[in-house]
Amino acid sequence: MTHAVAKSERGVGARLLRKEDARHLGGKGQFVADVKIPGTQDVAFVRSPHAHAIIKSITVPPDLEGNVFTARHLPRLADMRAVPLVNGFRIAGYPALAKDKVRFVGEVIAACVAPTRAEAEDLVSQIAVEYEVLPPIVDPEAVLHSAPSLLHEGWPNNLFIERVFQGGDVDAAKQQAEMVVERRYRMNRQAAVPMEGRGVLAYRDARLDELVVYDSTQVPHIIRLGLAEVLGLEERVIRVIAPDVGGGFGSKARLLPEEVIVAALGAELDHPVRWIEDRAEHFLASTHSRDHDYKITAYADAKGMILAVDAELIVDAGAYALWPNGPFLETGMAARNIPGPYNIRNWRVKSFTVATNKAPIGPYRGVGRPGACFAIERTIDEVARRAGRDPLEVRRDNLVTPAQMPYMTIANLLFDSGDYPGLLDLCARTIDVAAVRARQKQGEPDGRLIGLGFACYSEQTGHGCGEWVSRGSPFIPGFESCRAQLMPDGTLVLYVGIQSHGQGLETTLAQVAHEELGIDPAKISVRHGDTGLSPFGNGTIASRSMVMAGGAVATTTRLLREKVAKIGAHLLQCDPSEARCEGGAVHGPRGSVAIEEIARVAHLRMEALPDGVEPLLTVTGTYQPGIDTGVFTFAAHAAVVAVDVPTGAVEVLDYGVAEDCGTVINPMIVEGQVRGGVVQGIGTALYEEIPYDDHGQPLAGTFSDYLMPGSAEMPAIKIAHTETPTAFTEYGVKGMGEGGAIAPPAAIANAVRDALVSIGAEVNETPITPRRVIAAIRAASKTS
Amino acid sequence: MCCFWAGAEGHGETPREGRDVKAPAFDYVRPTTLGEAVDVLAKATAAGRDAQVLAGGQSLLAMMNLRVSSPDLLIDISRLDELRAVADERDAIRLGACVTHAAIEDGLAPDPSRGLMPRVAANLAYRAVRTKGTLGGSVALSDPAADWVTVMQAMDAAVVLVGPGGRREIAAVDFTTGLYETARGRDEIIEAIRIPRLTDAARWGHAKFCRKSGEFATSIAAAVTDPVRRFARIVLGAAGRPPIVLQQASQELLGGKSHDALAHAADHDIAAHSEGFDDYQRSVHGAMIARAVSQVLA
Amino acid sequence: MTLNGRKVAADVTPRTSLADFLRERMNLTATHLGCEHGVCGACTVIVNGEPVRACLTLAVGCDGFDVRTLEGLLNDEIMAALRDAFHHHHGLQCGFCTPGMLISAHDLIRRGKASDDREIRQGLSGNICRCTGYTDIVTSVRKAAEAVARSRDATTATQA
Repeated sequence: MTHAVAKSERGVGARLLRKEDARHLGGKGQFVADVKIPGTQDVAFVRSPHAHAIIKSITVPPDLEGNVFTARHLPRLADMRAVPLVNGFRIAGYPALAKDKVRFVGEVIAACVAPTRAEAEDLVSQIAVEYEVLPPIVDPEAVLHSAPSLLHEGWPNNLFIERVFQGGDVDAAKQQAEMVVERRYRMNRQAAVPMEGRGVLAYRDARLDELVVYDSTQVPHIIRLGLAEVLGLEERVIRVIAPDVGGGFGSKARLLPEEVIVAALGAELDHPVRWIEDRAEHFLASTHSRDHDYKITAYADAKGMILAVDAELIVDAGAYALWPNGPFLETGMAARNIPGPYNIRNWRVKSFTVATNKAPIGPYRGVGRPGACFAIERTIDEVARRAGRDPLEVRRDNLVTPAQMPYMTIANLLFDSGDYPGLLDLCARTIDVAAVRARQKQGEPDGRLIGLGFACYSEQTGHGCGEWVSRGSPFIPGFESCRAQLMPDGTLVLYVGIQSHGQGLETTLAQVAHEELGIDPAKISVRHGDTGLSPFGNGTIASRSMVMAGGAVATTTRLLREKVAKIGAHLLQCDPSEARCEGGAVHGPRGSVAIEEIARVAHLRMEALPDGVEPLLTVTGTYQPGIDTGVFTFAAHAAVVAVDVPTGAVEVLDYGVAEDCGTVINPMIVEGQVRGGVVQGIGTALYEEIPYDDHGQPLAGTFSDYLMPGSAEMPAIKIAHTETPTAFTEYGVKGMGEGGAIAPPAAIANAVRDALVSIGAEVNETPITPRRVIAAIRAASKTS
Repeated sequence: MCCFWAGAEGHGETPREGRDVKAPAFDYVRPTTLGEAVDVLAKATAAGRDAQVLAGGQSLLAMMNLRVSSPDLLIDISRLDELRAVADERDAIRLGACVTHAAIEDGLAPDPSRGLMPRVAANLAYRAVRTKGTLGGSVALSDPAADWVTVMQAMDAAVVLVGPGGRREIAAVDFTTGLYETARGRDEIIEAIRIPRLTDAARWGHAKFCRKSGEFATSIAAAVTDPVRRFARIVLGAAGRPPIVLQQASQELLGGKSHDALAHAADHDIAAHSEGFDDYQRSVHGAMIARAVSQVLA
Repeated sequence: MTLNGRKVAADVTPRTSLADFLRERMNLTATHLGCEHGVCGACTVIVNGEPVRACLTLAVGCDGFDVRTLEGLLNDEIMAALRDAFHHHHGLQCGFCTPGMLISAHDLIRRGKASDDREIRQGLSGNICRCTGYTDIVTSVRKAAEAVARSRDATTATQA
C-alpha cells in the first residue's frame, strides 16, 4: 500500500540528523568489547594450522584442565547443520569444536579460558595437538575432475551441489547469433572486514534463569534460534543482545563456531566468558566471500543485442555450510543475476558449489551479485567492442525499458518499476563523458592512460515470503515486526526486529513514526538488537530493513494513530469522523488534545476512555510488502581511471552513481550507504584478496598483506538520484543498502579496458592489481 | 611487515606465529643513561636472555602483538636524551637514533638532505606511527621495505654503534646485510646516524611505489648526486631484498650522463643482480628508478 | 600518568598495551581496537600532545606522560567543532572508527594540515573506515577546520 507523502521537516524525506551520533561522538558507544560484567574471563582459541588433517590427539597439561575445553569437554553440543530445502544439496554437520578432523586453517579445536586474553593466548601455546595431515583440496576447478581426498565422509565428491539454471532456449538462440564472445571472469576470495571484529560475551543470569549472550551480530533472533538448537536449550531461556555493532555487511549474519562455544561456556561456567575476535582471526576464520569463477559465452547479433548467455559458474564455498542457509544461496543469486538488468531471453548456467579446505563463505554486501555483475558487465563491453560500438550505447540498447515494466527476467526476477536507460544517461551526465573523452584524447602529462567504464545492476530488495521459499531457505524472513508503544507521558518507543549497525535506523524509523503520529523524533526511541525487548524479527540483511521494518513501523503506528484519534475524539466530545490526528495532537471542530494527554488517559485515567476501548497504547504487528518477489533498485555506476602502464597502478579519478531506490526516507543516510558501498566495491575491484597456497595456507592475515581502501586513494563519489515510488511498499520505499558494492568491480574493470584499448589489454580478475595489469599488457602485446 | 605465514608442513607442532594479537610476557626496564642501557643489554645478552632494545616500538610491538617476536626483556631507550640529541658537525648532521620520523617531517631536526628527508618522513606510514617510530629503530630492524634503509644508503650515511667495547661507525651500505639482518652486534645499540650534508649544488630524486598510502612500498628508488663532493649514488630498495646500490648507474650519474644512458645502466645493474626479478618487478623498479633520475636531471 | 587531566597510578604487567590499560583498567572504552598492529587507527589517542597508536604503546612506557582520549577532549575547541561537523555532515555510520578518526582529525586541524580535501585525505590515511566511504568524513573535517578558523578570526577581530 503506498501513501503519497509530502516532504516534511522531520518525517519521510527529511535529512534528519542522526540520533545515534550523540553516543558515538561522545565516546560512549557500547560494542561487545565495551560491555563490562564483573568476573568476566577471556577466551582464546586453539586453531588448526593445517588445512586438512585428522586429529590424532589433543594433550592438555593436567594443571590446565578446567581452563581448556575441547569437543569432549562439551559433549552436549550438537553440530551446526545448515539444511536448505534444496534438492541435491549435501548436508554435513559443522562441529563448533573440531572432533576428529579439521578442514581449514583456523578451524577451532579448543577454547582456553583465563582472566585476560593475553593469558588465554599463553594457555593456547601450551596445548599440544597431534595431526595426521591429509592432502588439501584447494583448487575448486580441480575438484570437478578428481580430488586427492574427501572433505566430508559419505559424500561422493567434494561438491555441495551441482545445479543447472536455465530459461528460454539457449541452443536455439545460438543459431541466430552473428557474434560469439567468450570470456572467463574471476572474483577472488576476500573478507568483509568490518572495523569491529566479531565478539561474544555470555553469562548465566540467575535471577531471570537466562543465558545472556552479548553478540556482535546482525540477526539476534536468528542467533537465538541457532544457539537453542545447538546447545539444546529452550529459546525462552536465551537472550541475545546485539549492542552497538561496528559494521557487519553480511559477515555477522551466520551462526559461527565461536558464538556457539562462548555461549556454551557461559552456560556451563559460573562466571561470564568473553571472546573478542582479533584482526588476525578475522582474516583467518570469519566468513569469507566472493570467490567466484565464471565462463561466459554471449551470443549476440551484429549490433550487440544479446540473444543468449551460456555460463559456467564455480563458487568456492570453503569447508562447511554455514547455518542457517549454506552456500547455495550465493550460487543461486549469482546465477540468477547473470542476465543483469538486460532483456536477455535465453540463459543457462551450469553451477558448481564446491567444498574446499578453506574458510567457509558467507554473504557479504551484494552476495552473489558483484560477481554476476562483473561477468555480465564485462561481457556487454566486449560484445560492444566486437560490434565496433560504444559500450555505453550497447548497454543502453540491451537494458530493460520502462515500457517493459513490470518485467519478469528469464531468471524469474520480477523488476517492478524503474527507468533503467534514463538512469544510465543520468549517470553519464554526473561524470561528464565529453570532458573525459577530451582528456583521453589530450593525453596526460605524466603519461598515464585515462579510461571510462560503466556498469549497472538491478538489486532485488525487500523480497518476501514466496521468494525465500523458492530459494529453499530454511527460515523465511518475509516479514518484519514492530511493537509500537506510547508511554504514559506520550513519548514513543518502537521495538523492532531488525538490527541497526550503521544504517541509521534509530533515526529513519523514528522519521516514519513521526510521519504517522506527528511525534517529534527526539521523543521517539528505537529499540533493536535485543531478543529480550523486541518481537521476533529477521535482522538486518538483504537490503530489507527499511522496506520491512519501515513497513512494520508504519502499519503499527498507523493503528496507534487510529486508537489515539478515537480516544481523542471521545475526550473532545466529537464524532470520530470529525477528529484527525496530526502534528502530535488530535484536532476536532471545537479544540485539540495533545497525544501526551491521550496517553495519560489511556494508562492512568481509564475512566475517561470511550466504551470498547482498552487501556494502553501498544500495538504489535508484522508487515509484509505487497509483493513477494522484491522491489528492485536500479543504479548505474561510472568510473574514470588513470592507468600507469610501467607500474600497472590504477587510480580512480572520479566515480559517479545514478540511482533510484524509490521513495527516500532520509537522503543523507541513503547517500552515505551508497558511498560506503562504492568504496567497498572499489576495495574488491583493486585491493582485497585472500589467496591460498597449495597447502591450503591463507596468504593474507593482517592489514599489511590485505590492503583496505583508505581516504587518500578514494575519489569523492558523486551521486544523482531519481525517486520513483514503488507500488508495493509503505511510502514506495525500496531497499538499497548493498547496491553500492555491486557495480564498482565491473565499472573499474571496464574503465581499465577502456584506458588500455590501444594496447588491447583486458583484466578480467579482481582485485585488479598492478601485477595483473602488467601481465594483461604483456599478454596483449604478445598476441598483437 | 614480514610474512607471518610459514607453510605448516610436518606433524604435531602448532605454529603459533601471527595468529594472536596479545604479546607474550616479558620483563621491562627503562635505563636512565645510555651507559646504563649498554650495560643492561650486555649483561642480559651474556646471560643468554633474549633482550631487545625498544625505541619507538612501532615495528617491534606489532611483531610482538602478533607473536612473531617474543623477547623476554625489553630495554626502553626511547627517553634517553643522548639518543635524541642532534649535532651539527658542519659537513654532516648527526641525528640521535631516537629522533622520530615526525621530528624529521616537521623540520625539528636540522636537515642535511636539502628537503629529501622531510619529504620521505612525511610519506612514511601514518602520522600516529611517525610520532613514535624512530630513524634508528628503522635502520636497526632493516625491514627491506623501510624507507630510511634505502635513503640512508643513498645519502651515504653512517651508523654509529655503541657497545661494551666502545663506539664504532659502519657505513649504511655495509650495515644492512640481509633481510632484517644487520652488522649490529647483539650487545650493541645504535646511538646515532651521521649523514653527510649535501652541498648547494647537490640534487636528489626519490620515487616510491605504494598501492596504499602509508603501507610498505614495493619499490623505492633514491638518487643523490653531489658533484662537489664527487658523490653520486642510486639505490633501489623495497625489492624484497636488502637495498641494491646501482653501481654502474651511479657512475653514469656522477659522470653527468643523459637520462637514457642512466636508464640503460640501471637496467644493466638490475639484470646483473644475483637474485632475479620477474617481469613485473623489473617494470616497476625500472619505472621508480627512471622517475627518481628524472627528478635529479630536471 | 596524567589521564584526561587527572593523575592516575596503577600497577600493570609490562605487556599491557596503553589501549588495554585504558579500556580494561580505566574503563575508558572510546578507544577501540581494530587490528593491534598499528594500521587501522581505531586506537589513536594523544600522548604528550601527539597522536599515537595505543595498541603499539606500552602502558608502562607512558609513566609520567600526559594521555588524552576522546573522553577527555570533548569540549576542547577543535574537538567540539569536529563533533558538531561530523554530526551535521554524516561523518559516521557504525561509530567504531570514529574516536580514532576524531583524534587524528583533531591533530590535523591543530597543526594546520586540513586546508583542503587532498590534504585531509592524506592526513586521514592512517584511519580506516569501512562504512562511510570517506567522502562525508572529509567534508566534516573540512567544515570543522573552517569553523575553527572563522571563530579564531572572529576572536582576533574582537581583540584588535
